[in-house]
Amino acid sequence: MHMKENPFLEVRHVAKAFDGRPVLSDLSFTVHRGEIVGFIGPNGSGKTTTVRLVNGVLDPDAGEISVGGYDPRADGEAVRRMSGVLTESAGLYMNMTGWENLRFFADLYGVDEPGRADELLEQFGLADAAGRKVGTYSTGMKKRLGLAKAMLHRPDVLFLDEPTNGLDPEGIRMVLEYIRRLNEREGTTVIICSHLLQQLEIVCHRYLFLLEGRVVEQGTLGELEARYFPTVTLEVETDLRLADGQYRGIPARQVGPGRVAFTVPGRGAIPGLLRSLAGEAAVFSAVPVRHDLEALYFKITGGEAGE
Amino acid sequence: MLAIARKDIQAITANVQVWLPMLLVPLILGVGVPLGMVLAFRFGAGAMSPSDVEFALGWVEKLPAGELRTVLDGLPELSQRLIYVSTNYLMAPFFLMIPLMTASVISADSFAGEKERGTLETLLFAPVDMRSLFAGKVLAPFVPAVGLSVFTLLLCTAAVNAAAWPLFGRMIFPQLNWIPLMLLVIPAVALLAILVNVFISARVATFQAAYQLGGMVVLPLLLLIVGQATGVLVFSFPVVLAAGVALLLLDALLLWQVVRRLNRQQLFASQVR
Repeated sequence: MHMKENPFLEVRHVAKAFDGRPVLSDLSFTVHRGEIVGFIGPNGSGKTTTVRLVNGVLDPDAGEISVGGYDPRADGEAVRRMSGVLTESAGLYMNMTGWENLRFFADLYGVDEPGRADELLEQFGLADAAGRKVGTYSTGMKKRLGLAKAMLHRPDVLFLDEPTNGLDPEGIRMVLEYIRRLNEREGTTVIICSHLLQQLEIVCHRYLFLLEGRVVEQGTLGELEARYFPTVTLEVETDLRLADGQYRGIPARQVGPGRVAFTVPGRGAIPGLLRSLAGEAAVFSAVPVRHDLEALYFKITGGEAGE
Repeated sequence: MLAIARKDIQAITANVQVWLPMLLVPLILGVGVPLGMVLAFRFGAGAMSPSDVEFALGWVEKLPAGELRTVLDGLPELSQRLIYVSTNYLMAPFFLMIPLMTASVISADSFAGEKERGTLETLLFAPVDMRSLFAGKVLAPFVPAVGLSVFTLLLCTAAVNAAAWPLFGRMIFPQLNWIPLMLLVIPAVALLAILVNVFISARVATFQAAYQLGGMVVLPLLLLIVGQATGVLVFSFPVVLAAGVALLLLDALLLWQVVRRLNRQQLFASQVR
């Protein structure tokens, strides 16, 4: 999906400190309408604070923010009306049923569509549990209800703070799939804050890496890969015998019995390599090693941020 | 605003463990104690020693000639006088404890409870302006506090008059001074307790802290009780009326001050313990 350049959320040189401790120091980034952006960083890097600042729940110490043309400081209500937030703790009332929770928040957000709550309960597979108190729900169910609650008023932008935290792989896939379909269908702009990278690649168009209060890197997966892993590592099943850790000048190493990894400067060099290999030895398969988000994360953050 | 008030009231009524104890104190204070007093005086007035009588009624002698003295002079029996005075006058400040305590408990939870349960954040993320949020939080305790007071008064009226009927042959409680008490003072006291507790609740992080600090509102009331017992203050009609008006003015002042300080960002920041 190719996004036209249509800035929806703009953050410029925002700083925020708590009790003298700086959390955000010079935060600047732009999110375009209809994008799904992964806001990635370790715990404490300021992702949640950013969501709060953008929604006008906290005020920045410095800098400017614009959401859909509104300043959250001056027009907080307008911003909050068009934004849906799933907080890390889901923020649901444990002593009320799923249905009562949605009804309450629907009232709060001025949702005028009768049946909207039912529709969302159905979509998230919570229709059967709607009559039970939320305190009895599993973590996955709470997250799903929290997401349903964030969607009640059909927001233009969704902020999801650690939406996959505490979910099993099936639950993660379900949530991310829903987000992807929502974005395709309604063009909702989505910002996902996470320090968990599994499966995030299924949904995000672009990534912002947050470290120590500022955006240290950003781009699509392809752009980032090209930037940080400029070479391509090709794993070949072959009976070639290596000498001096290289083959015809190409760095190579034995990674297993009958498996050799060649590091070529780019995709373009692969056909040539394979042709000469095939001429000298048996080649059974050749697979380029993919660099996933996790590998990028450690490259970009220098591996300091781990959990 | 209504959605918030409704949710808060439902949270109380839905949980028996919460509203049953809340009901108990008003019933004891508002019905049990007066009934006990009436019966004690009815049957035990004769057994009281002169010094006890002096203690209970002595302050009446010090009163300027007024409505109360005339009435009392018209009551031949000691027991009658004791019952009349204790129910209509001495009991009034005790009765005020009912709206005060009910309102305090519920309103202490207003913001501090939301913080403890982690739901304040979601409320602040919603497009609800601070005034509506605040109004909902004030309304929620007000309705049960005043409602409970009225209910207890009705029960008390029935109980006291039934117990005292053989002595008087007519209804002796409540007298005119209770009209401004019910219409002005009780709502004003409830509102006062609510405003103080909501203000504190918005600033502290836990319900316990809010409840403990807010409990201090009881102190002025205790002073009133002592004041009346020693004859310094008598809850006659004009006094109650004046008190009602004064309390309402105090409420207006508090309301103005609290609304001025309503701030989403500050409220959010107060969650951090």
